[in-house]
Amino acid sequence: MTYQLYRNTTLGNTLQETLDELIQFQQISPNAALKVLLQFDRAINSALAGKVRSRISFKAAKLNTYRFCDNVWTFLMSDVEFKEVQDFVQVDKLKIVACDGRGPGPGGASGGGD
Amino acid sequence: MDQLLPSPGFSIPSIGTPLPHSGEEEMILLSAQQKQQQQSTQEQQQQSSQQQQPQGSQMGQQQQGSQMGQQQFSSGLTPHTLLQPHTPNLMSPAMGTGGSQVGVGSMFGSALGPSTPAGGPMTPMTPHSNDPGIVPQLQNIVSTVNLNCKLDLKKIALHARNAEYNPKRFAAVIMRIREPRTTALIFSSGKMVCTGAKSEDDSRLAARKYARIVQKLGFPAKFMEFKIQNMVGSCDVKFPIRLEGLVLTHSQFSSYEPELFPGLIYRMVKPRIVLLIFVSGKVVLTGAKVRNQIYEAFDNIYPILKSFKKQ
Repeated sequence: MTYQLYRNTTLGNTLQETLDELIQFQQISPNAALKVLLQFDRAINSALAGKVRSRISFKAAKLNTYRFCDNVWTFLMSDVEFKEVQDFVQVDKLKIVACDGRGPGPGGASGGGD
Repeated sequence: MDQLLPSPGFSIPSIGTPLPHSGEEEMILLSAQQKQQQQSTQEQQQQSSQQQQPQGSQMGQQQQGSQMGQQQFSSGLTPHTLLQPHTPNLMSPAMGTGGSQVGVGSMFGSALGPSTPAGGPMTPMTPHSNDPGIVPQLQNIVSTVNLNCKLDLKKIALHARNAEYNPKRFAAVIMRIREPRTTALIFSSGKMVCTGAKSEDDSRLAARKYARIVQKLGFPAKFMEFKIQNMVGSCDVKFPIRLEGLVLTHSQFSSYEPELFPGLIYRMVKPRIVLLIFVSGKVVLTGAKVRNQIYEAFDNIYPILKSFKKQ
């Protein structure tokens, strides 16, 4: 079972908008668009699980809230610093939604900041 | 929230069962000193009339008998027996715990029962061990409350903040609040366990906060049968203790297995408190339903620990 978690990412949203446009111009059927999205889910899950090697760590000043329901963790943090060797990204608010990676299918986590 | 009742937490026997309170440590210390002075009047008359008695297993019984109930000795001894110089060493179990400790209690100046009218004030012949004013600090309080309505745990976990719900592992929502810093286990039956508070009032306040959160989510939550189930306290006697000696003399109450656990587990009978006693002199007291049981237990154990001080 692949998570549809990654549809709400920059890449996933762009894809969805493109597909919607194509449907509007009646160049593809909605069914085809759905199949594209399902394929996207599979592709992105396997890519992130297998092909990505780089690591990044982060540290937050405060964990505002946490939630665990349906095997999904949701964290809301403030004042977060993402550190790689050279990079340094600071973020005021961060939301992390994490699905179980060890489930029957591949899992993953996606985060959003502003 | 509940009104704080202005009664001392420490049990001055003549006043009666204490009611929950908070932050009255100074009052407690003062009353501890008063109680000590009351006892000294008993001890003085005994010490002047008694000789050295074998210490042995008396010490084991002493702590039991030292809580003698309100105004009379629990085993039914009359004050009259206190006055007899050589009360037969009532070691036999038939006498109960009251007998032997009566003679012995004064020797160690332990926290005896409340003042009895027996004897008048006499000048102390030997200084008795004074309660040094160490007061055990409460570390954890576990309480339960019934919200009196069935709950949809998934809804609570989805809408409340700081909640965990993993029905495969545990059939309750684990929720935490920051003030007072506590954790609650909320079950679908409507019953709730609140842990982590440092005082009785904090525990009640925290339980009310959790009930309010559940109420705000749309459930008709009530606050029924709030009860404190367990209280844990800890303190430091500030001297090292010979645990081996303690387990030898108080074998009926102690269990000490250093290969298993480095602390001696002392199961006091009255009050029914379990104490973990460590070589360093740190003591953990648990199993109390009310604050005074912790204080009482510590007052009972302190003279025993002093006699096992590592020199």
